[in-house]
Amino acid sequence: MTDTPLLQVDEVTVTRENGKKLLDQVSLRVGHGEVTGVLGRNGAGKTTLAYTVMGLPSYRPNSGRIFFEGKDITNLSITDRSRLGITLAWQYPARYEGITVAEYLRLSRKDATRRELEEALDFIQMEPFYLDRFVDKALSGGERKRLELASIYLMRPKLAILDEPDSGVDLLALGDVIKLFKKLIDFGSSVLVITHRDDIASACDRAYLLCNGKVMLEGQPVAVKQYFMSLCSPCSDPLLAGGVISNESQ
Amino acid sequence: MNLSNEYMSLIEIAEKAGEPIRTDDAHVIVHANNIIAAKDIPGLEIDAEETEFGIRASFTVKAGAILKKPVHLCFGHLGKEGKQVIESRIVLEEGAKAKFYSHCIFPNAVKFLHAMEGDIVVGKGADMTYEEVHVHGPEGKIEVRPLTRVVVDEKGRYVSNFSLIEGRVGILSLDVEVDVVGRLGIAEITSKVYGKYDDICNVKDTIRLSGEKSSGLAKARVVLKDNSFGKFFGEVQGAADGAKGHVDCTEIVQGNAKAEAVPVVSVVHPGAEITHEAAIGRIANEKLWGLMAKGLTENEAIDVIVSGLLR
Repeated sequence: MTDTPLLQVDEVTVTRENGKKLLDQVSLRVGHGEVTGVLGRNGAGKTTLAYTVMGLPSYRPNSGRIFFEGKDITNLSITDRSRLGITLAWQYPARYEGITVAEYLRLSRKDATRRELEEALDFIQMEPFYLDRFVDKALSGGERKRLELASIYLMRPKLAILDEPDSGVDLLALGDVIKLFKKLIDFGSSVLVITHRDDIASACDRAYLLCNGKVMLEGQPVAVKQYFMSLCSPCSDPLLAGGVISNESQ
Repeated sequence: MNLSNEYMSLIEIAEKAGEPIRTDDAHVIVHANNIIAAKDIPGLEIDAEETEFGIRASFTVKAGAILKKPVHLCFGHLGKEGKQVIESRIVLEEGAKAKFYSHCIFPNAVKFLHAMEGDIVVGKGADMTYEEVHVHGPEGKIEVRPLTRVVVDEKGRYVSNFSLIEGRVGILSLDVEVDVVGRLGIAEITSKVYGKYDDICNVKDTIRLSGEKSSGLAKARVVLKDNSFGKFFGEVQGAADGAKGHVDCTEIVQGNAKAEAVPVVSVVHPGAEITHEAAIGRIANEKLWGLMAKGLTENEAIDVIVSGLLR
């Protein structure tokens, strides 16, 4: 394993036009073959962080840099980042009228056989008949979320950003989410998972606690989870702002 | 007059457009105002005659007849200029079922008028699907004026799909009116148009639901780019107890194109329920970004979204 992390977010600040800071000097790293969790309450800036790493135009950093495999990708487009091996499973995936599930999945891997598509669906517990359905109103929000995960399963990216993979109408069980993490790691991917569920964070190798756009805690998932669960109010705790819980402290 | 070349060309283009016309299928093939070929089948009566600028034809699907294969109507012209007027009447008698596939082929038209005036009667318990696909060339400004009036009787069902996405639209004035007069009658109209250059695309779909518990859907998918203009007028009127209808319009605008949508929902009976949805404008960012995160460029993502919408 190389010393250079797969992803390194270095003091990134994202500010809205009205001056509101969505991310405030956020630093984060995802190692090769690691599952890294970003935990936080609604509005903490978790999804903003996912969008910033993916390169969405409205979420470009005002300051700070983002490195992927040691390369500065701060100014790269979504497409360029995706072609380098980063992808995102959206919290609320879009609908695509007139595009079948099979066609949608093949956008992630053009040469996938029908059997491989069925295998990807099976992994996230969808039946093969879905392949001929359209990715529009025919699929519920939960089904489209599962489809996003199937898409990532097929794509086998270097870095999969999973934005709240367990939320939605049709919930994936915790065990299924963890199974997905393991499968992606087996494929050689790394995972950055955005979640507000402490039990998902427990399944990570490293965790960050985000609050009001700032990283409040970094370290072992169990410790971050415990802090989050104990009526998390880190913003009012100046000692913890920017704090790191080392492995030894557990 | 030997029109074998025209026949072969029209058949070939229809096949390329996705729906082949086979010689044993019921069909009427017209070039300009010449009926090149016509074939009826058991359960279907065709009566066609040539007129000064086109043809006049009637099609009757006899009571209880279920036509397993589509009836092909191929109206075309291989020339650059001219005029073609098609007058048609289609009747599905009680319990009949049929699909009519209309190929309108004008691959070389530069200055041309193609007008269609159709009357359709869907009898009690009958089921009719009407597909109209246009193939135009990349140049010129053909004027297309399809005017259709439909009456749907008790438990009858009328489904139509109009598609003008190949080549230039030119000037389109699509006007479809359906009266669902019978109890439990159904009407579903879908129009798909892709306007380019300085095309003008006017789509007017009207459904009146006067049959008790009848239902209707007026749906339009219009994509406009360059300097084209498009206007969708979709009206569903609920005029009977239990009538349910919906107007659904999506118009995507690119470049300097302009779009208007006028969804009209009206209810003249307290037991009716009509709803509508309309989305007009550029492609939503979340759709583009979703595909770009899979490695597509923005233009590739637009192509995927547009071709899906017009499918």
